[in-house]
Amino acid sequence: MSYLEYNVKWTPTGLAKVLYLNWALLLLLAAAAGIGFLMLTSVAGGDMGRWAEPQMKRFGLGLALMFFVAMVPIWFWRNMAVLAFLVSLALLLAVEFFGETGMGAQRWINLGFMRLQPSELAKITLVMVLAAYYDWLDVNKVSRPLWVLVPVLIVLMPAALTLAQPDLGTALLLLLGGAVLMWLAGVHLFYFLAVGALGVGAVAAVFLSRGTPWQLLKDYQYRRIDTFLDPSSDPLGAGYHITQSKIAFGSGGWTGRGFMEGTQSRLNFLPEKHTDFIFTTLAEEFGFVGASSLLALYVGIIFVSVVSAMRNPDRFGALLTFGIAATFFFYFAVNMSMVMGLAPVVGVPLPLVSYGGSAMLVLLIGFGLVQSAHVHRARSK
Amino acid sequence: MTRVPLRPLARVLDARAKGENPDRIERENLRKRHEDIRDRARLRAEGRLVVLAGLFFCAFLVVGVRMGAIAASEPAEPRAQAAGAQIAAARADIVDRRGRLLATNLVTHALYAQPPMMVEPERAARELVRIFPDLDEERLLGWFAGDRKFLWIKKKISPEQKQAVFDIGEPGLLFGPREMRLYPNGAIAAHILGGARFGREGVDAAEVIGVAGIEKAFDERLRDPARAGDPLRLTIDLTVQAAVERVLEGGMVMMNAKGATAVLMEARTGEVVALASLPDFDPNDRPRPLTEGDASNSPLFNRAVQGLYELGSTFKIFAVAQALEMGQVNPSTMIDTRGPLTWGKFRIRDFRDYGAQLSVTDVIVKSSNIGTARIAMDIGAERQRAFLAGLGFTEPTAVELVEAPGSKPLLPPNWSEISTMTISYGHGLSASPLHLATAYASLLNGGHKVSPTLVRGAPAARGPRVVSEETSAIARQMLRQVVTRGTASFGDVPGYAVGGKTGTADKPRLKGGGYYEDKVIATFASVFPAHDPRYVLVVTLDEPVETSGREPRRTAGWTAVPVAAEMIRRVAPLLGLKPEIEPLAPTGVTLTSN
Repeated sequence: MSYLEYNVKWTPTGLAKVLYLNWALLLLLAAAAGIGFLMLTSVAGGDMGRWAEPQMKRFGLGLALMFFVAMVPIWFWRNMAVLAFLVSLALLLAVEFFGETGMGAQRWINLGFMRLQPSELAKITLVMVLAAYYDWLDVNKVSRPLWVLVPVLIVLMPAALTLAQPDLGTALLLLLGGAVLMWLAGVHLFYFLAVGALGVGAVAAVFLSRGTPWQLLKDYQYRRIDTFLDPSSDPLGAGYHITQSKIAFGSGGWTGRGFMEGTQSRLNFLPEKHTDFIFTTLAEEFGFVGASSLLALYVGIIFVSVVSAMRNPDRFGALLTFGIAATFFFYFAVNMSMVMGLAPVVGVPLPLVSYGGSAMLVLLIGFGLVQSAHVHRARSK
Repeated sequence: MTRVPLRPLARVLDARAKGENPDRIERENLRKRHEDIRDRARLRAEGRLVVLAGLFFCAFLVVGVRMGAIAASEPAEPRAQAAGAQIAAARADIVDRRGRLLATNLVTHALYAQPPMMVEPERAARELVRIFPDLDEERLLGWFAGDRKFLWIKKKISPEQKQAVFDIGEPGLLFGPREMRLYPNGAIAAHILGGARFGREGVDAAEVIGVAGIEKAFDERLRDPARAGDPLRLTIDLTVQAAVERVLEGGMVMMNAKGATAVLMEARTGEVVALASLPDFDPNDRPRPLTEGDASNSPLFNRAVQGLYELGSTFKIFAVAQALEMGQVNPSTMIDTRGPLTWGKFRIRDFRDYGAQLSVTDVIVKSSNIGTARIAMDIGAERQRAFLAGLGFTEPTAVELVEAPGSKPLLPPNWSEISTMTISYGHGLSASPLHLATAYASLLNGGHKVSPTLVRGAPAARGPRVVSEETSAIARQMLRQVVTRGTASFGDVPGYAVGGKTGTADKPRLKGGGYYEDKVIATFASVFPAHDPRYVLVVTLDEPVETSGREPRRTAGWTAVPVAAEMIRRVAPLLGLKPEIEPLAPTGVTLTSN
């Protein structure tokens, strides 16, 4: 018998649930996706059919899924967490064997109607399983070594499989997302300091191993780090992305060149202009104002989620909401810093804006869970 | 924390007395405890949330500030970041002492491809291979079909080739202007100029970086945009350099030598008029350094500057000059030349037995090791070392080539008495031919130290005196007699009063100790005209064998001397020297006759 029962007074049921959805969150998500449609139209040279329309369809499908997920009681999802996690692990394994290769990595699995990227799914299921774990675990045991080891293993499994694809960016996002959840669940500071120290050691090892037979990263990954540290060292090769996107930013200035006026992106200077680097198009065409507006939308999404989580007396619901907000944060923070030359190019899309199916759908399902937690939280009358 | 018991006895009894249900008390306490726990967990979670929010906020701030910074840098950013825009291509010319071009720039074109823009990659590859037969069609197609957005095909192409590529009509094949370094005289003065390569490359320009010689030593100055129109003027005379190289090459072939070097220097200023090293290379197409074997066999090796050799009997004049300077001997002092001279386990021999004694002049003229060693013994190690240091033999030469500072003479680790004796006739101390030329110039120009230089600048102040005017004159007289009646009789060039000293040094074995029996370094160090020292010429042949006689002859008198004589015959008129009748020996200097 949980202490929470003392507080349970009322949760909406039936169609009334729709009224209690987090409408602010929904509006913000739609606004961000709308910016995405605009940009995808622009990079296609005004052709909506090329990228914007499929993206709209996917957003529609995503919204439907989000409603569905939101209507299902959150405790059902808690009970499904382990199963969902196992399924995504199995898909990650399957991608190792049957996956489709693209851009030097095996990342996709063909489901017939769409190509699924299981590492995206893993981001959400990992948050679910960790939240369920800490909901189940006695609060007093959270920091005991054995009970810390379990979630660490849970995080490492999908991260290792993702790293093997190889997809360094997503693996890092998984690790960070897991760490945030463990931090919020109350794991002792000592563990984080220890892992931090280990991380510094690992970075040192990665750099020291370069050129030796036991080199830890692929050459292209080292080159990306080199280029990150000094983009001008190779402006036509590995530094091309960053140099070009900086030019786009610079030419956008404060207010931008105007819709469909961006030269950098439209004239094919920018690679991946409709996926990972779409932010540069935004920055070029709508300038600092446009770029910071999108940033403000993202901040708004996170803020709304965090407020919802803090009001939620259910540990699972609160942790889940925090975790998904954190995952979302890492998505765009890493993407933006990569585009602006603050982080190495790791291949992380800009959430809700970049062209891409899996990421969009999975993110909306994740926010469906957030909505479910919001709807089904205990409310005082 | 204090734990409130769930069923405090006093209250339970109290409740019972009042007839209430004590279970209610337990439930109430349990609820309070749960609420406490929850509040504490909440508080802690909220604290952690604040920490996390702080971190996230910092991240937002960084991203936002960066965004603002990049956006604010609007006018400069695009241009500054455009690839290749900041590559400065203007490199100053290099000219000889009369302003003739030694190195300049030529605008050519680079050919690159942008595969995404290509229309017919197959045809383009086929046509390219027709124009550039050294390209491989398969590889080109592989590149064009790959996911690269940009690739270089040729770094330098001629106008004809450019037109031919243009005629393919492929929009994905593009040209970028590019300045390349051109050495219009080919291999002439190759070791002095060194060479250049491309540094950072962009579509519109490429950086030219010096890799050796003057190009590297003056890289900063040559690349300085402010001085791009101001050529670097060398002391080299292109005509003389060409003649020296031509004669040296002929001499190397005729004497079956594997390498040769010559240094022609103005005796009074140290300005190098010609400096050649064979085998040489074309700096327009600089060969790769040897990856194995001895680097000194590479054509890139500058024997005149980098080659450290035992220079043999050419050193004898230093011992004699020092003895004269110290007043220890005069030219007619008789020196004991009975041999062999034994010192511990060492024995010093002469090439031939010169009898019981020779005058100091004849010690030089006939080149007696024993006589020189005896003179050096009286000088002593300390003073010999100081004298040779004064002539520049203990430090690398100051010539303006990047190779020079690495070529420090090899001195004996312990300057013992036996070292003193062997060094006096040129063994046990290895120096470069440029060192020798510098020392001869300093000793024979009237006694003022010079420093070798390749760059024409303001005339340097007179160096410190190394010997007196008189000693310098006597030394020149002795060297003149080496040519007129000594070991360098082939060195006489009528009208130019050549004086000089031969040196034939056995080459040290590469493995193990000792010397080869049949491999020598033959050197002729000369000054002309002897009565008015204008130029010093050092010619060194590596492993020469002269085979016209019954027995192979290796001594410098048979090998280096005729080459040097031919060189002087050819270059003296180019240097503006008129043939003269030698004046009579100056009065006050006693010459021996036998």
